[in-house]
Amino acid sequence: MDRSTELIDNDPVIKIEDLVKEYKSSDGTIVRAVDNISMSVAAGEIVGLLGANGAGKTTTLRIIATLLQPTSGHTQVCGHDSIQEPVGVRQSLGYVSATTGVPDRLTARELLTSFGRLHGLNEDAIKERLEWLIQTLSLTDYIDRPAGRLSSGQRQRISLGRALVHNPPALVLDEPTNALDVVGSRDLLDTLDHLRERGHAILLSTHRLHEIEHKCDRFVIINKGHIAALGTRDALVADSGDLESAFFHAIDRETHA
Amino acid sequence: MINSPQIAPSRDQLQNHPSEDNRLAAIRAVTGFQLSRLLTRPRLAMGLAGAIFPAAVMFAVTRTASIDRNMTVVMIYALIPEALCVLGLLVTMCPVVADELERGTWIHIAVRPGGRQNLLLGTFAAAVLWTAAVSFTALMLTLLVAQPTQPIGLIVMFSVLIGLSCVGRAALFALPAVILPKRALIASVGVALIVEYFAGLLPAVVNQITVSLRLRSLLVEWMEWRQEMPIEMTLFVDDYSAPVQVIAVCILVFVLLATAIFILNHRQFPPSVEN
Repeated sequence: MDRSTELIDNDPVIKIEDLVKEYKSSDGTIVRAVDNISMSVAAGEIVGLLGANGAGKTTTLRIIATLLQPTSGHTQVCGHDSIQEPVGVRQSLGYVSATTGVPDRLTARELLTSFGRLHGLNEDAIKERLEWLIQTLSLTDYIDRPAGRLSSGQRQRISLGRALVHNPPALVLDEPTNALDVVGSRDLLDTLDHLRERGHAILLSTHRLHEIEHKCDRFVIINKGHIAALGTRDALVADSGDLESAFFHAIDRETHA
Repeated sequence: MINSPQIAPSRDQLQNHPSEDNRLAAIRAVTGFQLSRLLTRPRLAMGLAGAIFPAAVMFAVTRTASIDRNMTVVMIYALIPEALCVLGLLVTMCPVVADELERGTWIHIAVRPGGRQNLLLGTFAAAVLWTAAVSFTALMLTLLVAQPTQPIGLIVMFSVLIGLSCVGRAALFALPAVILPKRALIASVGVALIVEYFAGLLPAVVNQITVSLRLRSLLVEWMEWRQEMPIEMTLFVDDYSAPVQVIAVCILVFVLLATAIFILNHRQFPPSVEN
């Protein structure tokens, strides 16, 4: 069986089990940033990771991306464990952050080519991927313009292109719309729709609930490192009417539990 | 829901590790990128100032006193392979991790397979190339001012010393850069002073792990000064042949870079540090 089909039918592309991450704070106390989180994302699915600032969203995403090591628990991407097989995880994952980190002087073409090389792709593969990215992300108009002359939305598109340059099955986005205006956010989220249709598993963290209410297949609400609620939009809003109310309801319930 | 041939390469495809050529291309990509950062006007102006400085010092000295060839060589050695190379590498090698953290590019590099070591090795190459180019320019300008006899021999000798100084010190500064990225400059100045200029001058086993001992010993050997040196000065150089000194620097570079890569591959930066 083809692995991609197998993933779609059986396995989640991104899997998190009993994840715990503790930091030692400057005064020596242990702070638990992520507390026993378990969840998964299947191929062709967008899962929204919702939470206030400091809820543990970024820490969770960075553990998945092998940037941080968990205190306990496991994360897997395409069956690769983040501790045992970090290279496999990195080959299977694209990561987008709120800060695009796109250098002003480089054009999108130069940046994507550099990152293709950094990823170990050969020149033919890079050329092929670049063509695909230009088409898919509509980069044609500014592919050869220095990034310093581009809007925030255009820079975030380039950042998304950088995450997709090696065609990863899994995509993790950490508050990607934070610096974008309404048009930029909508553009980016429409692109994610397209990527979902192509079968990418997408885990998207945000605290801008209204933007993604109708974009995600499922939501995971986290508060102070715990999962406060999870499910489809319809299941979450059944009692409260909209996602924002459901979010606050879940957090209040968690806080008072 | 899913109907795309574009999806996700198979697991087997994913496990195809990049070839050696691709790894080198990855390092070259980082080197090119870092060189483009170093070729901005402010950095070029700084490089030019650095290149002119030893010549200016030499000009000032030769205007006030007549110095012989040996003294000229000692001055060039102190000004270029020792001072200018160290200063150039402090500027180019120390921020290898701190710059990426500050610019928000660290996570995008660190999530690539081999991204961290490619960053370190690519930056190492760029720092060595930039500093060596500045130092070589400084050498030519200084020789033009000093006009010593047999300049070709001095150009060859100092080119080798500059090259060894650059690779040795860049590898040395890689360690504080990965251990204390946010304070790498201060830590590297400390390392330069304590390891290179203090421990390097101690007539003890500890000086064997310094680049400065190797460079001094090479200078003494190639200038054939050993026989003329006062006995107490021989404590500051060792007796091994030039090839051994060069191999010793290469081993030191390999060990330092391997250690830096190991540390960098295991570094974790909490989101508060990265952002």
